[in-house]
Amino acid sequence: MSDAGELQKKTFVVTRFDPDVDEVPKTQTYEVPCRPDWKVLDALNFIKDEIDPTLSHRWSCRMAVCGSCGMNVNGEPKLTCKTALSDYGDVVEVAPLSNFPVIRDLVIEMDGFMEKFRDVKPWIIRAKEKAAEEGTYRQSPEELSAYKQYSMCINCMLCYAACPVVASEPHFLGPAAIALGHRYNMDSRDEGAPERNRVFRGEGSVFYCSYANECSEVCPKNVDPAAAINQAKLNAVVDWATSFVVRRKR
Amino acid sequence: MARPSHPQAMTPHRPAPTRTAPPTVPDDFYTKPRMLTYLLFDATGIVYLLVGFVALRVARALDSGPEAWADLMSDFAQPLYVGFHLLALVSVLFVGVRFFRLFPKAQPARLGPAKPPPRPVLHAMLYVVWIVVTIALLVVLGGVWP
Amino acid sequence: MKTLLLRLEPVIWLLFGAGIMVGTILLPGYLLTVALGGPLGLLPEGARSYERALAIASNPLGRLVLLALIALPLWKGAHHVRALAADFFGPGADVVVGSLLYAIAAVGSVAAILAVAAI
Repeated sequence: MSDAGELQKKTFVVTRFDPDVDEVPKTQTYEVPCRPDWKVLDALNFIKDEIDPTLSHRWSCRMAVCGSCGMNVNGEPKLTCKTALSDYGDVVEVAPLSNFPVIRDLVIEMDGFMEKFRDVKPWIIRAKEKAAEEGTYRQSPEELSAYKQYSMCINCMLCYAACPVVASEPHFLGPAAIALGHRYNMDSRDEGAPERNRVFRGEGSVFYCSYANECSEVCPKNVDPAAAINQAKLNAVVDWATSFVVRRKR
Repeated sequence: MARPSHPQAMTPHRPAPTRTAPPTVPDDFYTKPRMLTYLLFDATGIVYLLVGFVALRVARALDSGPEAWADLMSDFAQPLYVGFHLLALVSVLFVGVRFFRLFPKAQPARLGPAKPPPRPVLHAMLYVVWIVVTIALLVVLGGVWP
Repeated sequence: MKTLLLRLEPVIWLLFGAGIMVGTILLPGYLLTVALGGPLGLLPEGARSYERALAIASNPLGRLVLLALIALPLWKGAHHVRALAADFFGPGADVVVGSLLYAIAAVGSVAAILAVAAI
């Protein structure tokens, strides 16, 4: 193991909530000797391993591809595996992601997100599937580039924590779900845009978005969901307008 | 520390098997600089509403005749109107800068056969149009030509 | 009401889009001249005269620009103030404030059309 440098003591103010014991969430403070190259997740794991095994938090890949470790760090939604402690002072506040119900400690209820996800039908929709003998669907690099950016989402939900509309309108589909629906609408192999655009104009309306752009500011994978949502608005309007002209099987 | 979000924010239709704490946002959610900029952007809506109705006075004065027009010009010279129109000018410039920055990425890669220009080009084009139109209005409404 | 707003949303959004784009592009020129320059005496002789203003506003293009200057900012304003209300006061306020403001914008737009047509 290489020489990791001097340890620095940092104070972590961590939100705790045990539904069997606590009426409301509270904070608990831990003193953690941190290596200079540590991320916030390293400190949380140290707390759990060495100080307080009752702390609950989600994490997995440690390399910002699984989307499990999203939390509020000093009030900002972050992937804790990607957030360097050297960017922070002596006191670091770790709280569960904003705008989500909290199951326990730093673990949030994800099912609301999964429902919105499912609502946008995130799969290739074809009027008629190609028979296997006919081969694969062909797609040019240019066709791929139309949606590739929006396929990079790791479902970390930082965008939902950052969005002021998610904070106030429970029906809003939200950034990641809309970006994913848009990803499929822009996929040349997909024929489901009319169905998805109806969802986009429905109860979860993409038009709730007021282009705060916070989602894109916090996205760790540069998906730029704000771009997707606002492109989706234009597509939804065009779809709505053409629906008066073109008779479509609903 | 935290303030409540909407009580049903991100809440699934089927309740969780254990009691959950309600969704919250940090205390500084609405006051941190980026969010304040966005809220200010939305707040310029008040200015735009007022500007529209004040501009309606212009049309009405033109309908009514030279005396109404003179009254309007005299009103517009009062500190309240001058202050409002200066605020409107600042607001419009602020809106323009933010909106033009966000507009290019809101264009789909393709709409039927049409493709937008590259984003930096589109961004520049918006400013060119803004400047050209403003100059044209300054020339015509400013009494230079015709 | 919420369902009605959702169904009208594409039209509202198009009007808002026109409002923010066209309104923002046109407003600086109008503000610097008609709203500020003329009344404060900063423009050349005759620039703010009724006759000249009437001549410009009677021209078809002049009518269109004046109509755009009045009506379109109303929709940008309505849509954004609605968003502000929704952020701070929730979905209930969103419906009430939104409906009220869009109604105001609609009334203002009709008034604008009538006023500009009468010039």
